Amino acid sequence: MTDLASYAPLAIILLMAITFAVANVVLTLLIGPRRRGKIKGMTYESGMNPIGTARKRFNVRFYLIAMVFLVFDVEIIFLYPWAATFPNLDPSSPDALVWLFRILFFLLTTVVAYLYGFRKGVFRFD
Amino acid sequence: MIERIAWLWPEIILFLATCVVMVLGVSPRLALRRQCAFVSGLALFLAAMVAIATGPMATSPWPQMVPFMKGTAGFVGLLTLLVLAGTVDREVDRDQELGRGFAALRANRAEFYAFFLFSMTGLMLCASADDLIWLFLALELTSLPTYVMVTISTRRSRSQEAGVKYFFLGALGAAIFLYGFSLLYMGTGSTDLGAISTQILAQAEGGAINDIAMAGLVLSLIGVSFKIAAVPMHFYTADVYQGAAASVSAMLAFVPKAAGFIAILLLVSTVGWQWGVADTAGVSLGAGHSLPEPVRLLLWVMAVFTMTVGNVLALLQRSIKRILAYSSIAHSGYMLVGVIAGPQGARFIDNGVAATLFYLLSYGLMNVGAFAVVASMEHKGEEADDLDALRGLCRTRPWLGWTMVICALSLLGFPFTLGFFAKVPLFTSGIAAGEYALVVILGINSAIAAFYYLRLAALPMLEEPVGEAPALTRVPARIVAGVLSAGAALGMVLVAGFFMERAARAAVPGLFDGTHASQSATDQIARSGERRADE
Amino acid sequence: MSPWILPILILLPLLGAALVVLSHAARARSIAFGITLGAAAMGVGALASFDWSQAGAFQGEVGVPWVPALGLSLSLGVDSIALLLVALTLLLGPICVAASATAITERVKTYYAWLLVLQAAMTGVFCARDLALFYVFFEFTLIPMYVLISLYGSTNRKRAATKFFLYTFTGSIIALAGLLYVVWVNASAPYGSGEWTFDIATLQATSVQMSAQQQGWVMLAMLLGFAVKVPLFPVHTWLPLAHTEAPTAGSVILAGVLLKLGTYGIYRFVLGLTPEGVMEHAHALAVLSIIGIVYAGLICWVQRDVKKLVAYSSVSHLGFCVLGMLALNSVGVAGSVMYMINHGLSTGALFLLIGMIYERYHTRDMEELGGLARKMPVWSTFMVFFAMASVGLPGLNGFVSEVMCLIGAFQDNTVAQEPFVGATPGRLGPWYAAVAGTGMIVAAMYLLYMLGKVVWGQLREPADHHPHPRLPTDLNAREIAILSPIALLCLAIGLFPAPMLRAIEQPVNDTVQWVWKHAPSAAQYAERDMQRASTSIARGEGDR
Repeated sequence: MTDLASYAPLAIILLMAITFAVANVVLTLLIGPRRRGKIKGMTYESGMNPIGTARKRFNVRFYLIAMVFLVFDVEIIFLYPWAATFPNLDPSSPDALVWLFRILFFLLTTVVAYLYGFRKGVFRFD
Repeated sequence: MIERIAWLWPEIILFLATCVVMVLGVSPRLALRRQCAFVSGLALFLAAMVAIATGPMATSPWPQMVPFMKGTAGFVGLLTLLVLAGTVDREVDRDQELGRGFAALRANRAEFYAFFLFSMTGLMLCASADDLIWLFLALELTSLPTYVMVTISTRRSRSQEAGVKYFFLGALGAAIFLYGFSLLYMGTGSTDLGAISTQILAQAEGGAINDIAMAGLVLSLIGVSFKIAAVPMHFYTADVYQGAAASVSAMLAFVPKAAGFIAILLLVSTVGWQWGVADTAGVSLGAGHSLPEPVRLLLWVMAVFTMTVGNVLALLQRSIKRILAYSSIAHSGYMLVGVIAGPQGARFIDNGVAATLFYLLSYGLMNVGAFAVVASMEHKGEEADDLDALRGLCRTRPWLGWTMVICALSLLGFPFTLGFFAKVPLFTSGIAAGEYALVVILGINSAIAAFYYLRLAALPMLEEPVGEAPALTRVPARIVAGVLSAGAALGMVLVAGFFMERAARAAVPGLFDGTHASQSATDQIARSGERRADE
Repeated sequence: MSPWILPILILLPLLGAALVVLSHAARARSIAFGITLGAAAMGVGALASFDWSQAGAFQGEVGVPWVPALGLSLSLGVDSIALLLVALTLLLGPICVAASATAITERVKTYYAWLLVLQAAMTGVFCARDLALFYVFFEFTLIPMYVLISLYGSTNRKRAATKFFLYTFTGSIIALAGLLYVVWVNASAPYGSGEWTFDIATLQATSVQMSAQQQGWVMLAMLLGFAVKVPLFPVHTWLPLAHTEAPTAGSVILAGVLLKLGTYGIYRFVLGLTPEGVMEHAHALAVLSIIGIVYAGLICWVQRDVKKLVAYSSVSHLGFCVLGMLALNSVGVAGSVMYMINHGLSTGALFLLIGMIYERYHTRDMEELGGLARKMPVWSTFMVFFAMASVGLPGLNGFVSEVMCLIGAFQDNTVAQEPFVGATPGRLGPWYAAVAGTGMIVAAMYLLYMLGKVVWGQLREPADHHPHPRLPTDLNAREIAILSPIALLCLAIGLFPAPMLRAIEQPVNDTVQWVWKHAPSAAQYAERDMQRASTSIARGEGDR
């Protein structure tokens, strides 16, 4: 059971987080003023009057852009740990070469993804 | 690490081809786009040849199975590819030929072939897996592309429905076996299959297998049963096969199934077939030649229900694709018999695993033909899927008709066909393992199957054609695939011995006698032991 | 006997089938006839070159390895019993082709091609010396027969064909499991040869060493396959349907040869592989076959359809055949083997005769047809002749075999038998013979009843009857030529059964002695039965 003692800070953090979240919602409900009206019930659009329904379809290009962003973003994130570890490798060890080829392979997939997206017309915004 | 890459050249070839196809398939030039299928085929062929030439993979629990299964995957994949040709992009190509330009966003060819190759890569990776995480990734790499392929295979909403259904149920299956994998890790302290095996043997010698490890194994098997379309995870099969284009169904009937069976063999090999039959605790190691009782029972029930449910439901169908879907469930049940029987000896005929592997190969070859026939026929622009479309086919479209007849008889396991020679080893290995009840149930099920296969064989051969003959899709490759498949169903009989020997060699386990266990795996066990001691 | 004969006998019809497919439809029949006639001539050659002094040994043997991984080989060979059955097959071949001349006018090529394939498969079953090869041929007879029934049969043909296929396929796949069990025992048990082989002789040597319980199960599995084919009582329901719907030639082959595959299987494998099992369960099986004899006979009596009547009579007759086999003595088994041939001849001929009537009147209803003796004297003569052969009139072939079966069944285990001195007692007893004997009386009743209605009495014809455009009122020369050889054979066997009995004596004796020798507990069975039937012991001479 003594093992669990080391988890105490974690438990306290969790408890604090939950308390804070619940308290915010509950306190707002309890002490906040309530004035319901037509204007108050409107969708919040940064102060503008909303036009039409919120359930509107986006142009499919938004999704394409989102996906392209995801691909490159994720791949760049993967480059960081590699770059951070690479200088620590002993250049004479065979592992170093493997590491290099590993990332080149990885970059190859990025290039293929780029070519694919390019051909597919993802980068054309007309 | 580096030495492992040497085993993976087939996968690397396939991956490089995937990259090529992915770019080639969206080229604005029609002639270039049409090379996709060719490039895929070439890559598959190369990969299969390299795999066969590479030889056994020492770290795998089934060292010899790796080249065998990769070769099987490659060649059945080639046959499937012939059927898959021309599934997508026919309208896009026609528009371009008529000078309306190339609509890249509407074109699906790149994705289709690339995902097919990805799936084949996954299958081959499955064959060479020696680690749970590797196995999981490989299984998902096999399945995920097929979800997309189902969806884009036709432009009907039914395909999309099928794709979504397939995806969600697939995710459920994946969740279950991933949970099983994690429990297996928890119970044994390793993800390396060799280390798990060593650990389980050690546990058994010390009393009993860890309950959590056993639960993990059972859960993994249930989850993987999704891939082979076995009860209790078979529900998607008929709807998905029917919703997808027949060509894609042909692939679904083989690729995920093969991956699933490889996974099952890998998982089961961690406990091995060396337990006493009546021993529920699985303690008396080396006393018998059976799986530990919980695993055996699970597979037994699974096999019986799978073949019975598949066959009985197939009786009620009128759609050819649904019949073939349910029959594919039933065939999984048959193959499970071989898994239960296990490798009883070096001889092909009492080796259940060899029987399963050979059945997988035969099933892959002869099943393509049946789907190719459906894929080749058109009725009012739709796939001619109703049984009526087969009426009198031998007279109106002799090549297709006889392909259907031969493939149906072979799937039935009729003597003189490949199916018979595939089924006999299942019987004999079941008998060799003492599973008499299972063998009788297998026999009864083969007889039930006769009813609907007979219909598939008799309609083209004996009935008069109704109305005009079904139109042909303009993909001659499909007819070629069908004829090749029927040819294999008859011709393979002559050379069956060669493949049986290969299968027998492939089914020699390298692991569960406990002598294997690579150095790293042993270290890992030692480390996990230390960790526990610390706690 | 030359080792070339048997492979050629199997390959020749297959070659013929290919020729028929490639040739013009108008020539299909003459090619088929030529091929079957050629095969029949070779069959005569085989009969002549067979060494009858060594009738129990397998002759003309060939063996080629086929799938070594499975231990399969293509090995052929015949003893005198198998050879006689092959001869029956070859005899019926040209007759069936000739009998289809006017009946089959559509899709002629398919018809004759499948007929030839069927003949090849049937010949193969009798010649196979490899268990797997036997099974392959055994199963392969299904497809041609299925096609013949479902393409060229009468109104209900689809259902009949499907039922036929499913019954036999279900039975035989269970039989396969049983046979494979024996193969596995041979490959693994300490007393087996230790290798995967399907060689029948090797398997026999192993199989008899299995325990009585093992043999019982294996026998049960095999019987499921063979009993459906015979057919024995509870699984016979496919046969009348298949017979009534099949075209004439199909019925002839079905009754003449296909049913014999079942009895031949029982003879070769049930007696050969599981002597102790059959010793143990002979009584139960005999009861089943007796039920079949009497029950099917009674059903015959209430039939209006002549063809259905003959079909049910097959069930009844083959009950005798199985009963004789289960007597497990030389007389009974020899009678049973003769019954296979005789039933093939006389029932085949009856189906031919019914087919001739059906072609002319398009009905087989006994209420609509009658008194044909006045209009068709030749046909009526043949009809009466073959009906009498079927009833078992002394002097005709049916009598010899039926009486031998009954004598065999009559002997219980207290009586050492006189003719065919093999010094083995019977396994059944007087009661079995007595009850089965009523089947003979029933047979006489229904066949005479049928003759009385159809052949004699007032002439009755269907109201809308028109003469056939191509056939005369009575039989034409072709039809007489078809029937005469069968009639001659029936008469010859009936008057001089001795040559045939001598021909089968040796293998039958060998088999019977094999059974008794390898049922180590046979003496115990005998003792137990004696206690059970103490009354018959009191009458008997005591110990043997």
